Formats: sequence, C-alpha cells, structure tokens
Amino acid sequence: MATFFGEVVSVYSRAVEEDDEEELEEPEEDEEIRRELEERREVRLQWSADVGEMLSSGAARLPCSHLILAVGSNAARFLSVFVLHSANWDSVGHAAFWNEMTQTASGQAGPEAGCVFYRNKDSPSVLICQMTSYIAEDQLFQWTEKVFGCLQQRALNVTVLCDSPVAEYKSPDYVSSSSVPFLRSLQTSACSGTGPRSGTAPCPPLEQPNIVTGLPAAVLSYCQVHHIPAIAYQCYSDVISPDSITMETYKPVLTRLGKVIQLEPLPNADVLRKFVTAADCRSNLYI
Amino acid sequence: MPICKDIVVLGVEKKSVAKLQEERTVRKICALDEHVCMAFAGLTADARIVINRARVECQSHRLTVEDPVTVEYITRYIATLKQRYTQSNGRRPFGISALIVGFDYDGTPRLYQTDPSGTYHAWKANAIGRSAKTVREFLEKNYTDEAIAGDNEAIKLAIKALLEVVQSGGKNIELAVIRRNQPLKSKEIETLVAEIEKEKEEEAEKKKQKKST
Repeated sequence: MATFFGEVVSVYSRAVEEDDEEELEEPEEDEEIRRELEERREVRLQWSADVGEMLSSGAARLPCSHLILAVGSNAARFLSVFVLHSANWDSVGHAAFWNEMTQTASGQAGPEAGCVFYRNKDSPSVLICQMTSYIAEDQLFQWTEKVFGCLQQRALNVTVLCDSPVAEYKSPDYVSSSSVPFLRSLQTSACSGTGPRSGTAPCPPLEQPNIVTGLPAAVLSYCQVHHIPAIAYQCYSDVISPDSITMETYKPVLTRLGKVIQLEPLPNADVLRKFVTAADCRSNLYI
Repeated sequence: MPICKDIVVLGVEKKSVAKLQEERTVRKICALDEHVCMAFAGLTADARIVINRARVECQSHRLTVEDPVTVEYITRYIATLKQRYTQSNGRRPFGISALIVGFDYDGTPRLYQTDPSGTYHAWKANAIGRSAKTVREFLEKNYTDEAIAGDNEAIKLAIKALLEVVQSGGKNIELAVIRRNQPLKSKEIETLVAEIEKEKEEEAEKKKQKKST
C-alpha cells in the first residue's frame, strides 16, 4: 500500500484465521477456579430416606399430580399460615445451593432452609415447594431441571405463586393504592379450560409489557417446552415484608384446588404473628 | 381516624421494635402545637424533617400573627412543602402520608390528610398506611351519627377499625385523643378493647340463637 508520502508500507491482513483450538485452551489455574465455582454453585437436592430410595432405584420418579411452588416471602408464608401448619404435610426434602446472596452455608435442612419440599400425607402425589432464598440466574435452570427430573411429568399440573413489588407493574391506567395487592396470571399453552381465558379464572391475565422473572419464569419456560400445564400467579403488593393482607390475596388460587389441598378459612394466628413480627423488627426505615 | 363533635381520635398500630430498642422513641403520633397533632406513615427520616418544619412554622405563626395556626393553615403549609419537593431538580418527594388533626380556635374539630404529591383534603374519618383500604371501608360502613354520638363511642369506633387489620390484637394499638382546649393525651385502651371483644362475643351468641330458633 502506498501512503501519502509515497513510501510503501506493508499491510497486515485483517482476515480472521479460524484457529479456535489455541483460544479454547485456558490456563489450568483458571480452569480449576471455574470448576470450583461451578461445584460451589451447584444445586443439590436432598430427599428424605424413603423418597431418596425410590429415586435412586433408577427409572422411578416421584409420582406427582400437583406441584405448588411458592417463590417469595409472602407466597411462602401464605402456604405456611393457611396450609402447611396442619399435621397433614411431611417435609420430604430440600434444595441446597450457595450464591452471593445466601446467608447460611449450603446444606442446612429444617424449617430455616431456603427451599423445602412438602408432601401431603393423604394425597402423596401433591407436593408443595417453598422457596424463600434468592436463587441466582445461573442456578435457575439447574434447579428446574433437577427438580422436574425427579418428578413424574405425565398428568402433572404446576401452580406457581410469586410476589412482585407493585412499583414494577406497568399499566396505562392509574394504579390506585386501593387496588393493591392484586393478582395476575400467566400460563403455558398446555393449560386449557382452567386458566385466565376461561370464565373460572381467579384473576385476569398478565398484561403486556409486564413480565415474570426469576424462578417462576424458569419453571414456566420448562413447562412450556415439555407441554406441562402450568400457571404462575403473580401478586403485586406495596409491602416488601410478610403481610396478612397480601397473603390473603392468594386465597382464591388455592380455593380452586380445594379438592387437592385443604385451605384453612382463617390464618393460623401464632404462625402469622411469628412471621410478621420478625419482619417488622428488622427495619427502622419505615414506620 | 374519626372526628366527633368534641374530640378527634387518632389510632395507630404500634410498630414492633427489636428487644434492645427503646419503644418510646418509635412513635407515629406527634404534636405540632398544643392544639394540632399529626400521625404519619412512611419513611421515618422524612417524617422527622416535615414535623420539625411544621413545628417551627406553628411557633412562627404565633409570634407574627399572635394567633395559633388553624389546622387547615398548617396542613396547607405541609402540603406546599411536599409539593415543592416534587417539582425541584435534584430532590425527591417526601415519602410520607400524614393525618393532621386538631381544633381551630372557633372550636371546630378538623381532620386533614396529605400525601407525597402535596395534595390535601379534609375528612370526617380516614386511614393511612398498610391496610388503609380495609380500615377506610370499615369506617365508611360504620361511621354513623350514632357511632360518634359521644366520646367513648368515637374512641371505640377507632379501636374497632384498627382491630380489623392489626395482627396481634389490642396490645399493639396506640390511641391518642385531642379534645377542645386540651393538649394531646394518650389513652389507655385495654379496658375498651376488652369491652369491644365482649360486645363481639355477645353479638355472635345472639346470631347463633337466632339461627337455632
């Protein structure tokens, strides 16, 4: 190539050389760190003895006709206060995982664990999962695939209850404080006759451009791909801590599942007081 | 909270405090002057600023005009302050709603509500904060001339309205009463709560008897 002053300059070729093999070899140290991080962030499901035995026998999966997943403090506490406090529910497992937001070390079982599975003693095919911990984006699909990998998917119905702040609700109409909290639903195409488009829906469908994010979105996507009927009910609330009015908003959802789940007409006062008081004491920001 | 002819009642749900925290430093009701007081819901720090400004304005008014503020005047001052913060660059609105109550110098009881936008309206009875909708609906149904005929009836109406939404019963309710020419007083409510619960039980029993006959 000739330049302005007349000297000839050799030009480097800008052709891309497809030499991917060299680029893929990362230093061993980086690989080790990446492997350690992956191991640390792995989602591990720990089931009770009888369930573990059934699953480890190879082809067997846990029979499940209804899976109710509660994501968020109000959704999870709603199930604790209105459903789970009765003696009909056994804890059958929990999911242990670590990310930057989890406060306790992974592997902690018991009522304080962030993700617990319960099974109904009278109808063992009904499972409830309470998720109160934050699950990171890279762990969402891992959790979904591992949990659904343990469940029998034929004739499975999935209901997801999730919380969302009303500040994230987008609407052309004014959302007055008197209408909050309210429910909106989103379902997979495998749902028919039971969702928002039918006359029996407990709430209207989620309007555009609002979206469902996080674990409910991962579960809905999985169910859509695998043709599993699933509905997510998102409760928009102006309160960030567990609150009895927000919890009661979920009632119509489970009333429809009345044959499957027994819903107490009144909340269990002791359980409710425990959750609400604990949340209240934590912050002095609001009065 | 409701207005009767001779008293205005302010009822709040006490905030749960941590074990080591001084309960008396966590208060939702405060006096702006001898005859005006305010209850608020929202950001505690914003409330402190608004209250301080309102108190200074009350005294400034007394000094310059030689008359105490009317409830409407101080409400308008607070609302104007809030509105200014919605229209200034680099500032955010005050995150509190307030109920301002008191008696004017002609003896009329007043109740005003302000919100972060800076609007204010007069009310006969109102509620703000968590579950305000439920309490307001209760007041709309039960605010009758009979319910506010006397002081005790008005106080009971306020307690009943709060008991609809308070999660731990009467022990978490704090009540303040302001009477004509008297400063703000907090009211012991244990006996009243017991009376209300007894009345509820009696009503429930009467209903059962009616059903059985």
